[in-house]
Amino acid sequence: MAQTEKYVLNMGPQHPSTHGVLQVQVELDGENIVGAKPIMGYLHRGIEKLMESRTYTQCVPYTDRLDYVSAMNNNLGFCMAVEKLASIEVPRRAEYIRVICAELNRIASHHVFIGSLTNDLGSATGMIYAFRDREKILDLFNIICGARMTAHYIRIGGVAADAQEEFLKGAQEFVNYVPAMLDEYDRIFTGNEIFQARMKGTSIITRETALKYSMSGPNIRASGVDYDIRKIDKYGAYGDFDFEIPLGEQGDNWDRYIVRLKEVQQSANIIQQALDNMPDGPVMAKVPKVLKPPKGDAYHRVENTRGELGFYIVSDGSTKPYRVHIRRPSFVNLQALDSMCQGMLLADAVTAFATIDPLMGEVDC
Amino acid sequence: MGKYFDKEKLELLKAQFDTAEYDAEQAEPAIYIGKEQLLGLMRVLRETPTYAFDRMSNLTAVDYKEYFEMVYSLYSRRFDMWITVKVKLDHDKPEVESMTQIWEGTNFEERETYDLMGINFIHHPDLRRILMPDNYDAHPLRKDFVPLEPKIEGGVLTWHKQKSMS
Repeated sequence: MAQTEKYVLNMGPQHPSTHGVLQVQVELDGENIVGAKPIMGYLHRGIEKLMESRTYTQCVPYTDRLDYVSAMNNNLGFCMAVEKLASIEVPRRAEYIRVICAELNRIASHHVFIGSLTNDLGSATGMIYAFRDREKILDLFNIICGARMTAHYIRIGGVAADAQEEFLKGAQEFVNYVPAMLDEYDRIFTGNEIFQARMKGTSIITRETALKYSMSGPNIRASGVDYDIRKIDKYGAYGDFDFEIPLGEQGDNWDRYIVRLKEVQQSANIIQQALDNMPDGPVMAKVPKVLKPPKGDAYHRVENTRGELGFYIVSDGSTKPYRVHIRRPSFVNLQALDSMCQGMLLADAVTAFATIDPLMGEVDC
Repeated sequence: MGKYFDKEKLELLKAQFDTAEYDAEQAEPAIYIGKEQLLGLMRVLRETPTYAFDRMSNLTAVDYKEYFEMVYSLYSRRFDMWITVKVKLDHDKPEVESMTQIWEGTNFEERETYDLMGINFIHHPDLRRILMPDNYDAHPLRKDFVPLEPKIEGGVLTWHKQKSMS
């Protein structure tokens, strides 16, 4: 076999397949990838540092800007960490509304995943279908809090305002629509021969590799590891709901796609149960106007759309956090990029970037 | 979150490592360890079958002005169990053994801590800046951080210390 000299190719930070400002230095031997080095920092805003000079309540909108396609999940993670630190008990109804919003946001985020994946694989039509359905969820968020993406709806101690009838009705309509939606996706992409050929057996992350790199979220579940914080920690109201955790077998691109597609159905099931059993009552706990959590630290983690999102907060007893550290799932997941690209063709790297689903707002923090 | 590492086991660890300490008054006390024994303690936590802390859930550092504190949150999938390990580091020369020797997945997080807090990780395979520019000579998350001024010199972006206000 003819040998060619190795050379390095920069993909990004302005490459459409890297979904933001991720730069990947791909080392190539002919068309085969020898190594892929992710380079980040182009979107680093210093959110952890900014939070040190804001009060706890002022910090919440910053979490929207971390993973900006699933803002509700980030709000939830931060608020729960502060509640743990300040021992605030959240009303039951607020917990249920939080779950509905977080799961709707998870579906919306998976829409972006499915849309951009099909777009990367050369089918711009697919993207339009996924974004059409995502629009329905964003409209619901518009009803409940007036913002489509950066929601800032989940607050410390509960939620900003009670869910309106219009929202609950809309959420029910969306849940009813989910089976038809997934059926349509199956007919358009899942059954598509090119789509399958491009994804099956490519960029495999084995169970061992996934565990070795502390991966989390759909990426580790696609490799067959049963690891979902919603099920393990049962934080918030998640203990009340009955849902399954879809697992993959091989950990290839195809599994990562299928796992997310199945998660959409599971999220819809959770929303259905939350809507059916919605308790009455207040939606906001009694939180002091000037919030001063006692001295100490707390770590809390939630299952974000992309995996295990953790907030470590240190309080010095003042109104502002002394230190906030955010454990971002996309950032940790990116460690596996090198091993999953090795030996693949350059054209498949695009699929690998799409299925590992990094979000640069979160990676760079 | 799952249950916390119970106090009997903490006592066992304390007997095994002479620099280990914890505050028995707290409900979920973090275990403090001297930095020389950190690697040994972590090996025990990971490899003992009754602990099996296979996930480094979170790794970070806090600047307490007089000293730095490394904070490790470990999680055991098998026993659904937590432990927090803390190490105090000298403020003038903060360095600690790299956890990549036990959990390979801490590579990026240690690089981030090095970049933003300036902790030097010994035996790290690839300790480079990860978020800030390569030629940036400061660590932003430190409490005494003053932003550097950007300047373009010969077409290259460089960073300079601000002139003092006095």
